[in-house]
Amino acid sequence: MTAVWKARTVAQAIEDAAASTKTGYRFIEESSENEPFFTHGGIERASARIGGALQALGLQKGERVALILPDNADFIFAFLGAIRAGIVPVPIYPPTGLGKLTGYLENTLHIVAKSGARVLLTSAEIKRVLGTIQAQAPELQQIVAVEGIRGSREELKPVKVELDDVCFLQFTSGSTSRPKGVVLTHANLAANVRGIVELGLAVRESVDTGVSWLPLYHDMGLIGFVIAPLYYVNTITFLPPLLFLKRPVRWLETITRHRGNVSFGPNFAYALCVKRIREQEMAGLDLSTWRVAGCGAEPIRADNLRAFAEKFAPVGFDEKAFVCSYGMAESTLAVSFSALGTGLQTDVVDGETLWKEGKAVPAPADSDGAASLVQCGSAFEGHEIAVFASDDAESARPLGDREVGELRLRGPSVTPGYFSDPDLTQEAFAGGWLRTGDLGYLAEGKVYICGRSKEVIIVNGRNYYPQDLEWEASRVSGVRKGNVIAFGTMKPHNDRERVVIVFETPALDEQEKQAVKGEVRRVVQQAMGLTVDDVVAVGAGVLPKTSSGKLQRSKARELYENGELLIRSSSRDGDRLDAAKEFAKSQINYFRHAIFRGRGG
Amino acid sequence: MTWTRETLRAEIIQLLEGHTAGEVKIEESSHLVADLSLDSLGVMEIVADMEDKFDLSIPDDMLREVDTVADVVKAIELRLKNEGRLSG
Repeated sequence: MTAVWKARTVAQAIEDAAASTKTGYRFIEESSENEPFFTHGGIERASARIGGALQALGLQKGERVALILPDNADFIFAFLGAIRAGIVPVPIYPPTGLGKLTGYLENTLHIVAKSGARVLLTSAEIKRVLGTIQAQAPELQQIVAVEGIRGSREELKPVKVELDDVCFLQFTSGSTSRPKGVVLTHANLAANVRGIVELGLAVRESVDTGVSWLPLYHDMGLIGFVIAPLYYVNTITFLPPLLFLKRPVRWLETITRHRGNVSFGPNFAYALCVKRIREQEMAGLDLSTWRVAGCGAEPIRADNLRAFAEKFAPVGFDEKAFVCSYGMAESTLAVSFSALGTGLQTDVVDGETLWKEGKAVPAPADSDGAASLVQCGSAFEGHEIAVFASDDAESARPLGDREVGELRLRGPSVTPGYFSDPDLTQEAFAGGWLRTGDLGYLAEGKVYICGRSKEVIIVNGRNYYPQDLEWEASRVSGVRKGNVIAFGTMKPHNDRERVVIVFETPALDEQEKQAVKGEVRRVVQQAMGLTVDDVVAVGAGVLPKTSSGKLQRSKARELYENGELLIRSSSRDGDRLDAAKEFAKSQINYFRHAIFRGRGG
Repeated sequence: MTWTRETLRAEIIQLLEGHTAGEVKIEESSHLVADLSLDSLGVMEIVADMEDKFDLSIPDDMLREVDTVADVVKAIELRLKNEGRLSG
């Protein structure tokens, strides 16, 4: 551990780490046995090349470059190269396949246009489908294929990068409709990295090693495993995200082989390991080096983590390694971690009082209607978490211990705001506190999350969290797991909130659908004592989701209220045609550009 | 092991049936997402199973090309043929 923490820019951290010859980043590739390893010195040089190439394209300090790079190594060098040149990278997720191209292009265009990026750096393959974007984003001057600049000999011209400069824009894929560009400064990153690495996880400088399959266009993968390890000079082994989804055991094998100490995943990743890893695949695993098994980025289900611990204890997994975390892009990445070495801690409270009165009153675990909430630790030093009533616009009166309200944050990790969006920025703060939109409570300084405040369904003065209704409905056979959305609506009579559950089902005929719908009603009624006003069955692919697969409840409500949900066909339909159209358009645009360039000399 | 078009088709359909718990009738014209209710996680699970079954490596970009069961059969067929493991 470093004795005294001194805030440094990310650019400085890259240069400082370059002296290390033993540590660095390793990239596992699916199709090859090779595991290319770049020392921190090698990373410094590779990033300088791309930074120099971006400067040669005419990009100046403070200008934006959009990055759509599916290869982890390409992405990291370009991302760090831009930062060293003072250019602001804007990471965008790559197309995933299985259709949905139209939605992908819309989202990408929105991000590119909103960020005002002048250059979009991508792979040659993806470039082919992005042609139309250039015509529609006024400030975008060129789409560059990374293959053409990998071997660049342009030198990085020194640029003074300071702590208050913008480091990069992080577009969120929350449950709202459009991604918002969170501005992160070097000072934000330095403060959050300190919270994560030094205060939260007590990472051993140059000693601890990490393993990550997390996508790099998402904050947990990017800040947690690309930026933070530069500050503490740790070796990280990266796996392609799709490889993990295909063969979850590869995550644990990599931890075994490289003796990983720190690795994170959302709740679903742990559940996937329990479901998909077979007995015979466990033989060679040794998870005894895994000191921090972090869980965050989506609501944590205690049952999932317990099942993981039970299954993998025989191969050395220590349940005390679980670190439950709470975080959000607007607070750089992490807000709080449960204390090291304590494992999964839950608070069992009376569900009835929690929902009806907004108070978390401890209850015996086996009592009727007991709700179990996962503890996510307390704020980092220099940061504050407090709970306020949602309508407390000035954050004037913090609520007391165990009172449920909106969680709000203050401190050096909090973003200055959304990029070129003063209205959204103003809405996001209340009396100097960042409004998280998450409902929760504090008990003895520890955070517990109940759900998103805008999505809470209120019936007869009692609050229901949509996650709980969805969880119950998912258990019904014939309902596609993870494809259920619950919401409240005042429509059509504006007299009271009506509860609606929409789920995707493979059932085809009407009779089967009716049976499943009836069962959903019954199960929710039984578990929550709540009468559902309307249950809607739709086909696969109909429910709106964000790029990272999060359910979009507000969007679903909107579709329902406008009567569009039932007539909405699967978003996959017609994508074939769309792809062909987009390709044709991109070709036309390409020729148009070539012609103009020819004329202009 | 050598496959024929028929045994390959039957095997793929059987494999898909295993993932949809027999709730839907699978035909070559079925769409993976719309008809078989597969999400991205489900598709990756099937890809892994097919790799094991046919002793093949299926690259991620293949996922951008497939839409129906027939597309899957065709893609696997092509790969087996290239390796000389498809007869007839």
